[in-house]
Amino acid sequence: MGLSSVTTVNEAIKFCIFDLKRGQHEGQELDKILFFYPTDLPFSEQLSVIGLSEGLITFTRIFSPEAACEVIEAEEHSHVFYEAEPDIWMVMIVEKSKESEAIWRIDALRGVLKEVHSLFMMFNGPIRALLDKEPAGGLIRSHLYTFIMDYLSDFLVGKKLQLPNFRDSLRERGTVQMLTIGREAAIEVQSLVRQIESSAGNTPCYSLILFQDLLVSTTLSPEDTINLFTYAVLRLSPRALPSAVSSWSYLRKGNVSSHAATRSISANSGAVLDQFYRSHNSSSAGDPGYNVARPLQPDKWTKGKDGFLVSGIWNTEAGSSTPTIPTIWLQQTGERMYLCVFQHRNLTLILLIPVTSIPNGEQAISVVKQQVLENASVKIDKVEEKLSKGWGGENAYHVSGYRYLLVDGDKNVSRASPPTKVTTLTKESLVALTKLREEVDLEKSRAKWDGPDQDKDLEISIRAKNNAWVIGRVTRGKELYMVLEKANETLLYASDAVENFSNRYCNGTFSLD
Amino acid sequence: MGSDSDSSTSSDDSTSQNPNPNPIPNSASIDQSLDAIEDQLTSISLAHPNDTISDAAASSSSGEEVFKDAPNGSILEEENHKERSEGEIVEEEVVGDVEEEEEVREGSLVWRRVNSEVDVDRPSSPSSSGYAGERGSSIGGASSGSGIEEIGEDRICDEAGNGRGEFFDGASDSQAPTWVPGKRHVDEDDASVSWRKRKKHFFILSHSGKPIYSRYGDEHKLAGFSATLQAIISFVENGGDRVKLVRAGKHQVVFLVKGPIYLVCISCTEEPYESLRVQLELIYGQMILILTKSVNRCFEKNPKFDMTPLLGGTDVVFSSLIHSFSWNPATFLHAYTCLPLAYATRQAAGAILQDVADSGVLFAILMCKHKVVSLVGAQKASLHPDDMLLLSNFVTSSESFRQVQVLPYFTISQSYINLSKRKTSESFSPICLPRYNPMAFLYAYVHYLDVDTYLMLLTTSSDAFYHLKDCRIRIEMVLLKSNVLTEVQKSMVDGGMRVEDLPIDPSPRSGFSSPHLSQSTLATDSPDRYREAFVGIGGPGGLWHFIYRSIFLDQYVSSEFASPINSLRQQKRLYKAYEKLYASMHDKGVGPHKTQFRRDENYVLLCWVTQDFELYAAFDPLADKALAIKTCNRVCQWVKDVENEIFLLGASPFSW
Repeated sequence: MGLSSVTTVNEAIKFCIFDLKRGQHEGQELDKILFFYPTDLPFSEQLSVIGLSEGLITFTRIFSPEAACEVIEAEEHSHVFYEAEPDIWMVMIVEKSKESEAIWRIDALRGVLKEVHSLFMMFNGPIRALLDKEPAGGLIRSHLYTFIMDYLSDFLVGKKLQLPNFRDSLRERGTVQMLTIGREAAIEVQSLVRQIESSAGNTPCYSLILFQDLLVSTTLSPEDTINLFTYAVLRLSPRALPSAVSSWSYLRKGNVSSHAATRSISANSGAVLDQFYRSHNSSSAGDPGYNVARPLQPDKWTKGKDGFLVSGIWNTEAGSSTPTIPTIWLQQTGERMYLCVFQHRNLTLILLIPVTSIPNGEQAISVVKQQVLENASVKIDKVEEKLSKGWGGENAYHVSGYRYLLVDGDKNVSRASPPTKVTTLTKESLVALTKLREEVDLEKSRAKWDGPDQDKDLEISIRAKNNAWVIGRVTRGKELYMVLEKANETLLYASDAVENFSNRYCNGTFSLD
Repeated sequence: MGSDSDSSTSSDDSTSQNPNPNPIPNSASIDQSLDAIEDQLTSISLAHPNDTISDAAASSSSGEEVFKDAPNGSILEEENHKERSEGEIVEEEVVGDVEEEEEVREGSLVWRRVNSEVDVDRPSSPSSSGYAGERGSSIGGASSGSGIEEIGEDRICDEAGNGRGEFFDGASDSQAPTWVPGKRHVDEDDASVSWRKRKKHFFILSHSGKPIYSRYGDEHKLAGFSATLQAIISFVENGGDRVKLVRAGKHQVVFLVKGPIYLVCISCTEEPYESLRVQLELIYGQMILILTKSVNRCFEKNPKFDMTPLLGGTDVVFSSLIHSFSWNPATFLHAYTCLPLAYATRQAAGAILQDVADSGVLFAILMCKHKVVSLVGAQKASLHPDDMLLLSNFVTSSESFRQVQVLPYFTISQSYINLSKRKTSESFSPICLPRYNPMAFLYAYVHYLDVDTYLMLLTTSSDAFYHLKDCRIRIEMVLLKSNVLTEVQKSMVDGGMRVEDLPIDPSPRSGFSSPHLSQSTLATDSPDRYREAFVGIGGPGGLWHFIYRSIFLDQYVSSEFASPINSLRQQKRLYKAYEKLYASMHDKGVGPHKTQFRRDENYVLLCWVTQDFELYAAFDPLADKALAIKTCNRVCQWVKDVENEIFLLGASPFSW
C-alpha cells in the first residue's frame, strides 16, 4: 500500500471521528467509526481508542452533564475531544514525545478539529445529514476520508504530520486577517462590492474580497466568512495556486514548521494520498463506487484565461462528465451557493450565488461571469492598484520590538507579528507564552461556564526565566498576547510597553484608564 | 472523640476570640443538653497543662464551660437558619438539601451522646497499640461518629471564618475549634444527585478496583464506581500510557498511581492540575504515614487484598487533611510556618529540645496547632515540610492523642490538674514519615501541653516510651519555667503579621519590637470589634494579604487576614488564587518564572521569586502597579526585620 510507510511514521498522531448513536450492540462497534487516521491501524486498536473515548465521555457526564470530556492528558499523549455535532465526536491524539517540538496547546489543536469540521460542512453539509442520507455509512466515510486526508496533507512535513505547536502560539486559527485600508480605498472597495453583487441581476448574492491572504471585504456572516476565508487562503489565493512559485503569503510564509515545507512536498504527498485514496477505495469492503469531490485536493484550482479560477474538482461528482460548478453550504442560512472566484493579480474576488435562484446553473453562471467582467473589470483593476500601492509589504504589521497577537473574539479577527519575526523568538519564550495562553484558555472556558455575560478581564505579565516578558491581556472580548525579549526588567517598563502598543494599535483597548 | 474535641476546643476558641456565640454554631448542634457537655468535659481531658499555667489561660479555660453552655442551647434555632443560608458558599455543600441534613443531624446528636457514654465506659481504648492494624479501634470510634454530624460543619467553618475574619489561618484555627473531621454524607453514593454535585471528591482504591477511601459516601456502596475508575486507569495503562488528567467543562479528574494504590480526585474547584496532584500525593503520604509503604507487600501476596480494615477509623485524618487543602498554604508551598515568638523564647524552647535530641531522639517538635514553636533533629536527620504537615495533621486530627487513656503500658493518664479536673495524656504511636523513610515505622511520643500545644518526640526505638516520657517531663519543666507556654498562648491570641502594620518607613531595623506581638490584644479579643475597627482598610498601597516563603528555611509566613478578606469564602478564594499563582510560577516545563503580575476582577496579585525567597502578595484590584511594587519591597524588608521572631532560625545540627 502506497501510504503504509507514511502512516507508520505518523503513528505519533491519531485522529478519529465516531458516532455514538451507531454500533451500540456488541460486535457492531466498528460501525461507530466514521474516520480513523492512521488508516492502517488494526481495527482492534482503533476500537480501543474509541472505547476509551466513549468511556470517558460517559464517565465525565456523571459529574459534568453539560460538558463531557474535552481532553485527556496522559503521560505520553494528549487526547483532544470535540463534539462536532450532537453525538458525533472528533478525537485527536498527539504524542508528547521527548522530541522537543511536541509541546501543544490544547485549544490550538481543538481549533484544527473545528476547522476541518467547519470546512467539511461548508462543502458537504452536516455529517449527520450524510449519515441520514445513507445509513450504511459508506457515503459519509468516503467523504470524510478524502476530505480529511486532503486537509491533513497541508500539515505534512516530510513524512510526518506536524500540527500547530508552541511555535504557533502567536497565531489564532479560526480567525480572519484583515487588510488595513484607508478611507478612500474603502469607498472604492464598497462600490466594487456593489457592482459585483449586482452581476447576477436581482438575485441576492454574497461576496468576499481578499488582497493576497488578507481579507478586504465580506458580506457574509462571521462564521461563513471564516470558513470561506480559510478555504481561500488554503486553495484560492494567488499564493495557493499551483502556478505561484515564490509569491509571498502573510499567513504561511515563515511558518517554518509546517507550511513553508508543505508546498515543496505537497505535490508529492498529494500523489501519495491519491495513490492511497485509490487503493483504499478499491480495497475497502464498502462501495468503491462513490465518486467524491475533493475540494481540498491540493493544486486543483487554476486561473483561466478570463481571470476566473477553474477546477476539475467537482467534475467527478455524481459521475457527470461535464464540468460542474462548485457549490458550498452557508452555515448561517443553510443555503447552497455557487462559488465563483475571480482573480486579478493580488486581488481575489469570491462571488456566491444561491443555487435555488438559478435554475439552469451552468449557463446562468457564465452569464454572471460575463457581467462581472463587463461591469467591474475596470474597478477591479483600480482597486487592485490602489491596494497594492498602499500595501506595506511583508512586514506591514510588524511593530518593532514587539512580538504580538491581537484577537478580537467578537469579530473573529486577528492580527499578529509577521511569522518571520516570530521565528526570532527563543523557544523558551514561545513555550512560556504557550503555557500562559493555556492558562488564559482555561480562565476563558470557566468564564463561559459561569455564564455568557461573564466578560473576563484579565492581565498576566510574567517575567520568564530567560528574562523575556510574556504578557496576556483579556478585556471586553479582545485578547492581546505579547513577548518582549529585549525589555527592561521592571514590571513598569513592560506595562508601559503594553500601554503604548494599546494606545497606538488597539485604540486604547488595553490601556488602563 | 470528635465531639469532645469539638466542644472543648470550640469553646476555647470562643472565649479567646469571640464572646458572640454566633460564629460557633456547631457546638449548638452538638450539645443541646448540658449533661452531654458535662459528660464530655469530665470524661475527656481538656488539655491544659499544669497549675503553673498562665492566669490568662486558666481563666479562659475556666470560663469555657460557663460560656459555652449558655449560648449554645439558646441559639440553636437561629443557627440552623443561618447555616442554611450559608449553604451555597460552602465548598462541600452543593445542594441545600435541608431536610436530609436535618435528619442526619438529629442522628448525630443521638450518636454523640451515646458516644460520650461509650467513652466513659471504655476507658481502655487501645489507642496506641504498637502496630497499625489496631489503630482503627481507637481513632475509629471518633471518626465514624463525628463523621455523621459533619453535615453542617463546613458551613460552621464558614461562619466562624466570617465572624473572626482576621486569620489566614483563621480556618486553621477553625480546624480544631469548629471543624469536626470525619466522613460526611455517608448515605450517598454515585447514584445520588447530591453526591455527583459535590465540588471535590477524593478516592483511594486498590489496583484491583477495591475502594479504600472516599471523601463522600460509603465506600462499600461505591464499589462499582471504584471499579470504573480502576478500569479507566488500567485501560490507559494497557495502552502503554498513564492517565493523568481528564477535563470536562469545569470538572477535572486527576489520577495518581502509586504502585498498587490508585488515587483519584474529581473536582470543579478551579484549582490547577498541579495543585490537585500534589493533594493526591499528600493523601498518599498520609496513608503511608499510617501504614508505611510495606503495605504494598500485602498486594503482592494477594492482589485483591482489602485494605480498608487497616485504615479503619482514619477517616478523620484524611478528611482533616483534605480540609487543610482549602486553608493551609503549607499544602502547596511545601514549607511550614512558625508561631511568632520573641527570639529568646524560641531559643529557650530550642535549647531544651536540643538537649533531648542529643539523647537519642530523632526529632523533637513542639507545635501549636499547625504552627511550629521549635523543632530539632538529631544529627544529619532532616525533616521534610510535607512530613511535618502530615504528622501534625495526624496528631491534631486524631482525638485519641488528646484523650485520657488508661492503657497501662503505652498511655498513662496524669493526675488531675487544675480546678476543672482536667487530665492530659501521653501517647506512643508508630508512624512513618514518607519523605524520611517510607518503608519503616518511627515511634512518636505525643503529649499535649495545653489545648493547642503539643510535643512530639520521634524515635526509631519501639521501647523508648519511658525514656521519652522522662524527656517530656524535663522539657515541660523547662518550658514552664521559662514561660514559653505562656508566650505561646499569648502569641496565639495576638496573631501574626498584619498588613495594616506594614511600616511606612522601611528602616526601623533597630528597636523593632514586633508590632504584631505587642499591639492589638484588644482587637483579637473580639473579632467583631476587630472587624469594625479595620473595615475597608487593608494595608498601604491597597495591600490585602501576603505570603512570604523563605527558600533556605523551608518556612513561610503569611499575614493575618484583614478586611476586606473577611469571610471564609473570600479567604478560600484568595487561597485558590495563590495556589494558581504558585502553579503558574512553578511550571514544570519552563518555570520557575521570576516575576508575575496578575490582575483580574478580584485581585491584583504579585509574585516575586528569587533564590532566597518567594513573595506572594494580594492587592485591591484597582491598586496602582508602581505603588504595589513598592509595597512588596517594603513587605520583604519588614519580613527581614522581624525574621528572628517569625522564623525558626539556625536550628543548628538540623540539615535542611
